[in-house]
This record gives sequence, structure tokens and C-alpha cells, in this order.
Amino acid sequence: MRRRRFLAAAGSLITSLPLPARAAAPVTVFAAASLHDALRELGQQWQVRGNPAPRFSFAASSALARQIEQGAPADLFMSADDSWMDHVQERHHIANATRLSTLGNRLVLVAPASAASPLALTRDTELATLLRPQERIATADPAHAPLGRYARAALEWMGQWQAIGPRLARTENVRVALLLVERGEARFGIVYETDARNTEGVRQVAAFPAESHPEISYAFALTRRAESNPAAHALLRFLTSPDSAATWRRFGFLTPA
Amino acid sequence: MIALAAEEWAAVLLSLDVALRSVAVSLIPAVAVAWLVARGRFPGRMLLDALVHLPLVVPPVVIGWGLLMLFGVRGPIGAPLNEWFGLRLVFTTEGAALATAVMSFPLIVRAVRLGLENVDPGLEAAARTLGAGPLDRFLTVTLPLMSPGILAGAVTAFAAGLGEFGAVITFASNIPGETQTLPLAIYNATQTPGGEAVAARLALVSFTLAVSGLLLAEVIARHMGRLLGRPA
Repeated sequence: MRRRRFLAAAGSLITSLPLPARAAAPVTVFAAASLHDALRELGQQWQVRGNPAPRFSFAASSALARQIEQGAPADLFMSADDSWMDHVQERHHIANATRLSTLGNRLVLVAPASAASPLALTRDTELATLLRPQERIATADPAHAPLGRYARAALEWMGQWQAIGPRLARTENVRVALLLVERGEARFGIVYETDARNTEGVRQVAAFPAESHPEISYAFALTRRAESNPAAHALLRFLTSPDSAATWRRFGFLTPA
Repeated sequence: MIALAAEEWAAVLLSLDVALRSVAVSLIPAVAVAWLVARGRFPGRMLLDALVHLPLVVPPVVIGWGLLMLFGVRGPIGAPLNEWFGLRLVFTTEGAALATAVMSFPLIVRAVRLGLENVDPGLEAAARTLGAGPLDRFLTVTLPLMSPGILAGAVTAFAAGLGEFGAVITFASNIPGETQTLPLAIYNATQTPGGEAVAARLALVSFTLAVSGLLLAEVIARHMGRLLGRPA
């Protein structure tokens, strides 16, 4: 008897909780892992302006694109390259008119902070000679993740893909690669400059020349399900506004001047 | 027979290798722990039991991360291993086997414990009255009688080890030919555009291996049961 009364009380408590108005439902953002730190902050700024906090899901762009393809409830997709955005666009999952690219990044070589000395990286640098046997270079998996693909392009440009490819510790996304360098498990990591800058335990030791890889350009777009959602449109406008550009730049991203 | 590409075969063979090594590493400790948990009378027995079962209930990625902290080159166990023996576990096949062994450890312990609880204590008591010492009793009476449990546990752990994903990818990364086991290769294929055919082929292999392993465990258990004169 007591139990039934308890259940009734619990039930009425749940149903009496104020439900958020439909228009104020949070916008779900699927974002490349490399955007993590900057987006967290921009999300807070968005909230300060009186909007519901966006829901973020960070992972490799490849994983996110595959999830969107399978019908995941994303409103905004922020991919670290064009090819995964193309992938979902070709499958008619995004609102084409909303697609834009306003953010860039650079590719750098990092080492654990305790063992980092700067080195000059040219086309002729023999990366393999910097590694002792068993030592590895951590980066996202070149088979699918954008970071790994940029890294592979840079290594091919240096003519060292054959030598370094088997020495890569392939991770699911950039954050795992950073963790492995930070912990000293990997001698080096190939990551985005923004990650190098915003991660305590790693130091940049060299930058890859811009011509060594395709331009690192993020692609943003609303998904089809968010096409008529004003909150999603507003959030995308905010993230690509001049105000936000200052924040992006502070984290090290490249924005059109 | 399904036609597999060279690197797909490599993933299959590596999975078999890793699963086999993981069982080899964990079998004797698992029997010891099962014995302690089933027969031991000491404070903390239930705590040990709970600890052993952790890998079954904690997310595998947590186990992988914990191993990374312990066995990494700067970890409390990994640092001395690396310094004294030059042994590195992160990013290596040995590391993948270790992660798999930890994950499948409770499976062996459970099966062995079940086998042990089926052993009639009367037989051991009889051996003692006939003058057999504790070690003699264990080796000639208890161990043979609990062997179906040990074998079934080993085969189940082997089959489960073929499929370990989270702990391996976190601890040993996803390196083709060294740590990219069957489930990791399947994961990679699912992340790659046009990878569905590869994923489907490998999934079929994985399914076949797992079912064969489980069937084998069942057959062994029955056969041993018959050998020991118990109805299957």
C-alpha cells in the first residue's frame, strides 16, 4: 500500500515537472573532436545570451558522418574536412543552402612537454631517424579520420609514408592521439595546431608546411531535420559571426580576416 | 569459403593469436582465484570476488584506460617493465593480449568455480583418509574433476577474446598487423565509405569463429563430463 502511494507520488512529481517549451529545445551539435575546447566555450557564450545550452557530441568527423547517415538526431554537423560533409550531402542529409566553410587550422608535430625540443621540418626531414625502435607517432586513423588523412598527405609529400605509415599509432580521433603523446606513450603526435596549443602536456616541435597537405578547412551545415528549426539557424549564425571569430582565433583557428 | 584480402586475413590471424595468448596468460591465475573464491576462508573474499568480476560490468574503455595508466611507459607497473626488461605493452600485440586477458578473466573464473563447486567434497575427504597430502589431493582428485570447468572456461574466454574491442583499442591502439584485431578491423571498415562489404565479410568470420568456440566449449564440457562418469 505504502509502495503504491510512493509510486503515485513519484508519478505526479514527474508529470508536474515543467517541460521545456518546444521552441527552446536544445540544438544538438555533432562536431569534430578538434573543435572540442573552442565549442565548449562558444556554447557557454551562447547560453549567456539566454539560449538553451547546445548538446554537443564530439568524435571523429567520420564517425559522426556515419551516425548522421544512420539517422542520428543531429541538428548541426561540423566536419573537420569537406569530404565527410560531401559524404552526407550526397546522401541528402544536410540542408545544402546552409553549408559553409569559415574555419581553418594548421598541421603540426607535437611531443610530450617533458621531452620537446623544436626541430626544423622540411621536405627532407627523415622522421624515422627521430624515432627509436618501438617508438611511435600518434595521429588519428588515416583510413577515415580527417586529421589522419591530412597527416598521411603530409607524410606522402615528404616521401615518408612508406617508412612512417607502419609506425603510426592510429587513434579514433585527435583527442586520443593527444592523450597518448601527453602520457609519453607516443614519441610524437601529428595533430592540429589548436590542439597543440590548448593541451597542457604536449608542445609543438614543428609545423608542417601548408603546401604539404590539402588545406585544412572545416565544413558546417544544418541537417535536413533542422532545416525549419530557428534555434539551429540562430546557433549556426552565432558560431560563424564576427563575435565568435574572435573566440575561434583565440583558440588558434584560422578565420577569414 | 569467404575470400578475404591479405590485411583482412592478418586481422583474423592476429585475433586468434591475441585470444590464444590471453587465455595462456590468464588460465593459471584464474584457476587460483577461482579456488580462493570458492574454497578460501579469509577476510575480503567477497571483495576479491567483486574485483574479479569488474571487467564484466565496467565499460571496457575504462579497463583499457586503467591499463594505460598502470602499464604505460610512465605508469607504476609499465615504467619498471620498460626500464628493466625493455618491455613495452602499449601499442603491441602483447598489450592487446593483456587487455583481452583482463577482460576475459572473469569468464574463466566463473566457469572454473562452477566446475569446482561440482566436485564432491566426499571424494577429497576420502583421499585425505587414504593419506594424500593437500597438493596430492588437488592434483590427483580435485584438478581432474574440475577440468571440464577449466576447459570450458578457457574455450569461452578464447571465443570472447576474439571479439574484445574497447579495452584493446584504448590500450593498444588500432595498428594493422600488430594490434588491429578482427573487431577493430570491422570498426575501421564501418568508418570508411564503401567499407560495408569488408565489414560484412569480417562480421561473418567473427560470427563463425564465436559460434564455433561456444559449440566447442559445450562439446568439451559434455565429453569431459562423460569421461568423469557424470551424466552430461
